Amino acid sequence: MNEIPVGSKARIVNYTQHDSFTERLREFGLTPGTIIRLLRKAPFNGPVEIQFRSSRIVLRPNEVTHMLLERIA
Amino acid sequence: MPSIPDAVPSHTPRLTAALVGTPNCGKSTIFNALTGMRQKVGNFPGVTVEPKSGEVHIDKITTRLFDLPGMYSLTPKTPDEALSVAVLHGEHGALPKPDAVVFVMEGTNLEKSLFLYAQFAALNIPTLVAVTMIDGIKASGGVFDDIAMEQALGVPVIGIVGHKGIGLEELREHIALRGFSRPEAAENHIPVGEGIEAQYEWARALAGEVAHTPELDSLTTKLDAVFLHPVAGPIVFLAVMLLFFQSIFAWATPVMDAIEAGFGSLQNLVDTTLPAGIAQDLLSRGVIAGVGAVVVFLPQILILTLFITLLEDFGYLARAAFMVDRVMGVFGLQGRSFIPLLSSFACAIPGIMSARIIASEKDRLTTILITPLMTCAARLPVYVLLITAFVPSTMLAGFLSLQGLVLMGLYFLGGLSGLLVAKIFKSTMFQGTKLPFLMELPPYRFPTWRSVFFTLFHRTKQFLTSAGTTILTLSIILWALGEFPKHQAPPEASPIQAASLQLEHSALGTIGKTLEPIFAPIGFDWKVTIGVLGSFAAREVFVSVMGQVYSVDVSESDENLRTVLRSAISLPTALSILVFYVYALQCMSTIAVMKRETGSWKYPALAFGYTLLLAYGASLLVFHGARSLWG
Repeated sequence: MNEIPVGSKARIVNYTQHDSFTERLREFGLTPGTIIRLLRKAPFNGPVEIQFRSSRIVLRPNEVTHMLLERIA
Repeated sequence: MPSIPDAVPSHTPRLTAALVGTPNCGKSTIFNALTGMRQKVGNFPGVTVEPKSGEVHIDKITTRLFDLPGMYSLTPKTPDEALSVAVLHGEHGALPKPDAVVFVMEGTNLEKSLFLYAQFAALNIPTLVAVTMIDGIKASGGVFDDIAMEQALGVPVIGIVGHKGIGLEELREHIALRGFSRPEAAENHIPVGEGIEAQYEWARALAGEVAHTPELDSLTTKLDAVFLHPVAGPIVFLAVMLLFFQSIFAWATPVMDAIEAGFGSLQNLVDTTLPAGIAQDLLSRGVIAGVGAVVVFLPQILILTLFITLLEDFGYLARAAFMVDRVMGVFGLQGRSFIPLLSSFACAIPGIMSARIIASEKDRLTTILITPLMTCAARLPVYVLLITAFVPSTMLAGFLSLQGLVLMGLYFLGGLSGLLVAKIFKSTMFQGTKLPFLMELPPYRFPTWRSVFFTLFHRTKQFLTSAGTTILTLSIILWALGEFPKHQAPPEASPIQAASLQLEHSALGTIGKTLEPIFAPIGFDWKVTIGVLGSFAAREVFVSVMGQVYSVDVSESDENLRTVLRSAISLPTALSILVFYVYALQCMSTIAVMKRETGSWKYPALAFGYTLLLAYGASLLVFHGARSLWG
């Protein structure tokens, strides 16, 4: 997540761990195969806002370590 | 299409229905529309954290309706979700398992709602689906196919536009006529137990079939480009705060003066029409001076409510949480804690309750413990009274009022101290596992005038009710304690001298003087001590005690309470009082809610203890610091 530049897209390949947090991410609709766009980063290494389909969510990139992403654009 | 029975037998048993849906999908708006109640609504996930109950009446048929907190799935991650899931399983101690469910779906984000439905269908409860914001689907050139949806879900589907009232009558009729059916009636298979991925696949396919919605609402994208901009965002945030604190003094003063004048003439009327004696004294110096001193602050309370309501309804609150997450992280908390903390600026009680949206128990307890340090509305009268009395109304740079800045400083002092305390708690008793931060940003919505008006009306009613009950009772008790036992003043004493001698020798005076030594080091004389002690019942009582204690001075000198206070209290003492109120937890209701939400007396006791310690320590520092500076 840290390596994706603002404005670009990525596809969720898989989750490398299953816990209640990754379960919640999937329940939000971040299922494998979903394409996300990184909308913005908060200053000073703060949280990021991502968009997928008709949702916008914010999370801390360094806490999303178990989401395997593939850059697509 | 599932049909509605034409007639319901008159002996129809009373039905209990629950409103279920994802967070922030508009359940509370529908609840209010159906029951005619005025539950709090807002535009952020987690407005409703406790089930609310109401009744829907139509053609003499009564249905009991529960508004449940929103949930993303049937595997709860936060306490408010766990509560809703327990109710649906019939495992909640106090609430019955609902006979039927009104499942609310967000028209502009159907996927998520349909995903929840795929899990919910396993319970096979008689259901009725209400799809909100169908105008949003149509505005974007989409179509909403309710018939296809009914076939796929197996239950009746009604499209609704909540703020315009479209579809609500149909919904009421369906509820009254028991127009529910079980999800098992679906024509095709619903993947109830097949895992999140299969359920989302189903939800996406169906959403694409029944409604075409745009990917994102473009207004929200444009506004976020400014509000969440790394530079412009914080500037807007600060400007909004500045505007708020400025308006407290700039806009409220004229109204405040008018209310004050009104109570003044009421007091004169009582003094001139009633014969001198106990009755006149009780009314004029007890009731009017005591209650009036508090009611004067209604404009400020309303400005505060207006600001918080607009921020909540507009959808800005979640943005603010995003922007401050980094700062919160420094203190071991996360952006989610910001929402309960911000609510606490109105009142700590809803703040403590909304901490239920925090998944981590340690974070939730830490947040609850620091809510009393967020400046609540009850402190506002105390602050404004002392600030207008002691801080000159100078304008800095032509537009920034010094009084507004001092007020802002007090709010920041409380907020920053709260965060520091959180840091201490997080690195001692609540050490360990950090749960990740995850939050949805809702689309912006313009608040309806109706909802803003009702919130303000409700707040006014609440404030005046409290002034007419709690404050009135305390004012009468304090007046009586100040009036008895009677002291005979020497004949040569002026009315002011006589009144002050009476107070000094009364029961109240005795209490104040006995406890004065405890508060003397922080600069409180026995009169202030009485006010501070009375505040432990409700903070506004300080203002009402000052109103009573100095009521004779006010009426004799034709000045208002603020000018009288300026000569009666020294500046170091005034500063010391202000700092004391920043920290002290003087609120019975907060303590009771803390006990309920944490399930133990340990946390309210801890909160009461540490805030008192902080209050006394900080006042000691400020009082002596100020005295050495200004003699």
